[in-house]
Amino acid sequence: MRTGVFFCHTDESRNLNIDAIAKYSANLPEVETVQILRLKPLPQVKFISEQIKSNNLERIVLAGDMPGYFKPVFTKAVALTGGNTDEIRLASFQEHGAKGENAMDRAKAIVACATMGIPFPLAAVPGGNPVNHATLIIGAGIAGIQAALEIANAGKQVYLVEQSGTIGGHMAMFDKTFPTLDCAACILTPKMVSVGQHEMIRLLTRSKLVAVSGKPGAYRVKVRQKARFVDVKSCVACNICAEVCPVKVKSEFDAGISLRKAIYIPFPQAVPNAYLVDETKCTYILSEGQKCGVCMKKCPKECINLNETDKIIDIEVGNIILATGYELLDVSKIEQYGYGIFPNVLTSLEFERITNASGTTGGRIVTKTLVTNKKTGKEEWIFSPEGIPPGSVAIIHCVGSRNKKYNPYCSRVCCMYSLKFAHLIKEKVPNVNVYEFYIDMRAFGKGYEEFAERIKQEGTFVVRGHSASVAMKDEHMVVRGEDIFNDRLVEFNVDMVVLAVGLVPSQGTEEISRMLGVQRDSDGWFSELDYNGSPTDTDKGGIYVAGMCQAPKDIPDTVAQASAVAAGVLGSFTSGKGIGHMSSLSLSEIESRAKKIHAF
Amino acid sequence: MAIRVNPTFIDELDRFGAEDVQLCYQCGDCSTVCPHADDVYKFPRKSMRSLQMGLEQKIETTLEPWLCYYCGQCSTQCPREADPGETMMSLRRWLISRYDFTGIARKFFKSRLTEVLAIVIVALFTGAFLVYYGLSGGSIDIYDGEGAFLPSQFIHRFDLSIGSILLIFLLANAIHMWYLVMVKGTNFFVPWWLYIKEFFQLPWHFFTQKRYSECEKKQEHPVFMPWIIHLGLMLGYVTMLVLVMVFIEQLQSGPDIRWSVHIFGYLATIGLVTGTLYFIRSRLKKSYVQYKKSHGTDWVFVVLLFIIVLTGILQHIFHRTGLNELANITYVVHLMGVVPWLLRMPFSKWSHLIYRPLAMYFAEIRREALTRQEEIIQSVPVLIK
Repeated sequence: MRTGVFFCHTDESRNLNIDAIAKYSANLPEVETVQILRLKPLPQVKFISEQIKSNNLERIVLAGDMPGYFKPVFTKAVALTGGNTDEIRLASFQEHGAKGENAMDRAKAIVACATMGIPFPLAAVPGGNPVNHATLIIGAGIAGIQAALEIANAGKQVYLVEQSGTIGGHMAMFDKTFPTLDCAACILTPKMVSVGQHEMIRLLTRSKLVAVSGKPGAYRVKVRQKARFVDVKSCVACNICAEVCPVKVKSEFDAGISLRKAIYIPFPQAVPNAYLVDETKCTYILSEGQKCGVCMKKCPKECINLNETDKIIDIEVGNIILATGYELLDVSKIEQYGYGIFPNVLTSLEFERITNASGTTGGRIVTKTLVTNKKTGKEEWIFSPEGIPPGSVAIIHCVGSRNKKYNPYCSRVCCMYSLKFAHLIKEKVPNVNVYEFYIDMRAFGKGYEEFAERIKQEGTFVVRGHSASVAMKDEHMVVRGEDIFNDRLVEFNVDMVVLAVGLVPSQGTEEISRMLGVQRDSDGWFSELDYNGSPTDTDKGGIYVAGMCQAPKDIPDTVAQASAVAAGVLGSFTSGKGIGHMSSLSLSEIESRAKKIHAF
Repeated sequence: MAIRVNPTFIDELDRFGAEDVQLCYQCGDCSTVCPHADDVYKFPRKSMRSLQMGLEQKIETTLEPWLCYYCGQCSTQCPREADPGETMMSLRRWLISRYDFTGIARKFFKSRLTEVLAIVIVALFTGAFLVYYGLSGGSIDIYDGEGAFLPSQFIHRFDLSIGSILLIFLLANAIHMWYLVMVKGTNFFVPWWLYIKEFFQLPWHFFTQKRYSECEKKQEHPVFMPWIIHLGLMLGYVTMLVLVMVFIEQLQSGPDIRWSVHIFGYLATIGLVTGTLYFIRSRLKKSYVQYKKSHGTDWVFVVLLFIIVLTGILQHIFHRTGLNELANITYVVHLMGVVPWLLRMPFSKWSHLIYRPLAMYFAEIRREALTRQEEIIQSVPVLIK
């Protein structure tokens, strides 16, 4: 069939070298003419029909971003010359995803399929690879834990890789969940324990991905497990080592508001329930065995070995689940809220830790107290259980979220957890005034709107209007805002300000995306394959996303997505084939498949 | 009172410089950081909202745009980059065109070409008239006195006639402003004696621009920089205007200097030169938020003023050094700048010289009247049954 290929307008951001694709398509069989139409907005019908006549074309291929836009012109032209209008084939770069690394090969394959008259998806369906029944899960927060349990309960091997010393992630830090006000730990810790005890789950804490190779269904993964310096099996968590350890560091689990030792257990319910050593702070390790080492001598079980070294573990898996989670935006760079300058301006996680019964204040909501550090002689603001409860608290929503300078997106959970904070403060502190400054109340889930109404009923002052300034006036913190519904400017004296800080992808996200070749969106979250259709798949076959690392979402959604991922993974075992994504096929592969279909 | 909504109002404001109003999502950050927003006059958020809703008839009666001095804090803070500061600036431009009943200001603000063309035509007419007058009655070698090219008595009469045209337009516009703000836009009772009680506001704000200085608290500017420069420019300008309108005959007269007039002239020149140079430089460098976007009329304003000041200085130098011929030529060029400048005054940004103090005056009257009103309402017992 005599074929003519016409290149229409393409977006420059696609980074396609149209001339090179045109040259490639000129060498395809049966192609008579290749033309690059630089005509905007539409080419002339007369011109096209002349081209068809002079080259005696039977099939026309329109290549470009959205060639369908030009199709009517060509239909008219073909009809004018008396040809078959069914033989106008579209080669859409946008529709078939010619972007990213191998965009050029992709585009060539799209054009090649169109010249042969074969629908691109038909030729580019990836073949099945035999699937290894083991699964790797990166990140052991609630998403990772849920997916791991679902898969392991189905009797399949799971490798759960976690960067820190314990599983649990951010949810372990929370006090209550919204909107039911259930105790977060009561939901999470049983799951954590079953992960720790499950015979099908191999837990790798303090571990990081180093390298990944292989293809969907058969990935070979290298994991570096940092030394824990404490034998997990024999440690009984008696706390004697931490008592004698002289080094004090800010606790990550307590969001930096309390201190821990260099040898520590993140929190009493940690899984694995064993101590570990912070190698960046331990005197013995930093001095290379010259100093200290007291904990080794004092340990009654003799399970501490400060000379332990890192291990490299090779794992073979069929599927990989990404559940790397999030962290808070660095709020000190948003200067107007005075975080880091005024002692009682807290981030949401810090507040979560003081209101938590296992936190440093024992669950009492108090302001910071000024204490003289015995060692350095400096005065410091710290939380202590004897602190004074605040008389009034301001909670400011959308700190860094929905803001073109920081995060353009909505972090989705802040409205609800801020309302939850208001409730907790009202519940725990008598006669307290709570002011919520919000822009739009995003109470979108089941029972959320009712929860928001309930908080208003409880007497929280919900101010429609964002506050952009926290200042000090006569030794009082003053929060200014505009109460839009009541049409006045308000100024409240407050003792504590809680900032509902926006969420950003966790630090290692970029590294992992580069290692696995998984794309990220403009905000840095992992891109799912299709927002509506396949929200758990990525554009790489056999790699899935679950939880916050795909986009901000609350705990119910995270758990639901994690379970959905488990279903996808288990489905690949029963089919026995690891389905790669189209992008895993090379140009020559697609070409040869297309030829086969064409000959058939 | 029913308000008619104009859905295309926001598009019209686009031509006056407010491009990003639709981005605003009403968080109120701008009103929070504004040093001038208070319980009676809340802006810029409310103005942004009125704009989005197309409440043209409401905005034309508001004073808020005049209470803003564009420190730019709201624009720096805005999470949506909707630029509320520039919006307030555009509203001021629009209000100037609204107060002007002739519609000329509107044309000038909407098309830079029209404005420049109008200036050039008036300038050429003036030049032709002056040259014709000069050649018909005097000699180009004589600067002042008997047989002068442009004798000071003639210039005095000329100035006064131009000045009275200007004054008529300005007065009419000011009365229009009063009508819009105090009659149409004030739905509560304003006692007449408040106008007398608050009258001191007019000279106070005219000569000190105190509110402008309040803008600077948290800014990164050198201490009081735009305020002091702006004040210097304005005082220099007013002094020069008075000198030219009233004392032109002493100013132009022969070689012996009447220091009492000249010292004012020199002071005014210092203010004018530093002011115009500072604002031209700031607008070129775009160093601060408020200078990032320059409307066409802003440029015409500073550049034309700078040309007038420059030719004025040159003319003075030529006159003092005895180069009468050159002095006369620069005099004509100078007047070719001055006449369109003065005639343009009521239709341009310049008129904020009058509107700003008036706005402060009206604002205080309204505030007082409103508090009185609230007191009356509160003191009247409510009869339930």
